[in-house]
Amino acid sequence: MAVRILLVDDHPVVRAGLRTLLGGRSEWEVVGEASDGLEAVEKVSRLQPDVVVLDITMPRMNGIEACRIIQQKAPGREVLFVTQHDSPQMMREALAAGARGYVVKSNLARDLVEAVEAVSQHREFTVLTRNPRTRA
Amino acid sequence: MKLRILVADDHEIVRRGLCALLQKREGWEVCGEASNGREALEMAKQLKPDVVILDIGMPFLNGLDTTRQLLQHDPQFKIIVLTVTDADQVIREALDAGARGFVLKSDAARDLVSAVEALQGKRMFFTPRVNDLVLRGFLDRGHTVSPNERPDLPTLTAREREVTQLLAEGKSSKEVASLLNLSTKTVETHRSNIMRKLSLHSIRDLVVYAIKNNIIQIQMPPQRSTTETSVA
Repeated sequence: MAVRILLVDDHPVVRAGLRTLLGGRSEWEVVGEASDGLEAVEKVSRLQPDVVVLDITMPRMNGIEACRIIQQKAPGREVLFVTQHDSPQMMREALAAGARGYVVKSNLARDLVEAVEAVSQHREFTVLTRNPRTRA
Repeated sequence: MKLRILVADDHEIVRRGLCALLQKREGWEVCGEASNGREALEMAKQLKPDVVILDIGMPFLNGLDTTRQLLQHDPQFKIIVLTVTDADQVIREALDAGARGFVLKSDAARDLVSAVEALQGKRMFFTPRVNDLVLRGFLDRGHTVSPNERPDLPTLTAREREVTQLLAEGKSSKEVASLLNLSTKTVETHRSNIMRKLSLHSIRDLVVYAIKNNIIQIQMPPQRSTTETSVA
């Protein structure tokens, strides 16, 4: 059965990139896109995706808050955070909000497919880079 | 013949998105991808693309300094800068540096193809806000610009700006020397010249200067929602 995926990021270019990276798997279906946390919450109720790929820093409602609401209103969805925040503290906050996965944007080409596969099977997947530093 | 485009952004996911957008167009090809300004510089010199798309906030060498150095090497390069902000100062610097296109990352899905088309037709492409600013600048022409309105960047040479960025990114003089193929002593001379010219006294001052002048960008923590949480 197809894994239904919702992509949430405020930059359409990033969503286009996510689609490209996920496009290789025929059993995965991107069922929708959202550009902020509020829209994500609404689309999760409507589209019932299996996996929500969620950015953290977004206008109107950030991803952490959206994740908490999604877990309350639509339990059973797996949330995978895809973010530029390469910090253990942010990762803990994300997992505490109910996420199953956490990967940083700089490593996405390597990690995304593996991460989606893991969380779609309800396995935890978290990776930070080894040398976090301020992005220039 | 195909239109050849070089894409430079430090995030692979963004490069994938940009490539997906650009390659939808028949007759366009992405001839190279770079993940920082120094790599973009090398690749552009080697591949001679028709259009270069540069993110502003890249490590090692930011997009504006890459633009300056590329145009110094060959004024024929057609460059579009991608930015997360259209603050006045960033626009001014991009125009000063010689970029012919200015696209907000948030609008790239809508504007990037138009921007490349414009440059292909030897025109320029700017967001409406840039157009307003340029027009205002044109109308104000003749008025002297107060020093406070302009970034104090021109006092540094291209090499000094490059060293400033690397030091502000936390690299040691030795690391900078190895990246730029210079001796550590030369880097230390650059470093003391930079500090003297800008009247800075510590690396901390230098980092603040680099952030204020868009030489490096800092990562901001997520903002709390502006909406009511009653949605829960």
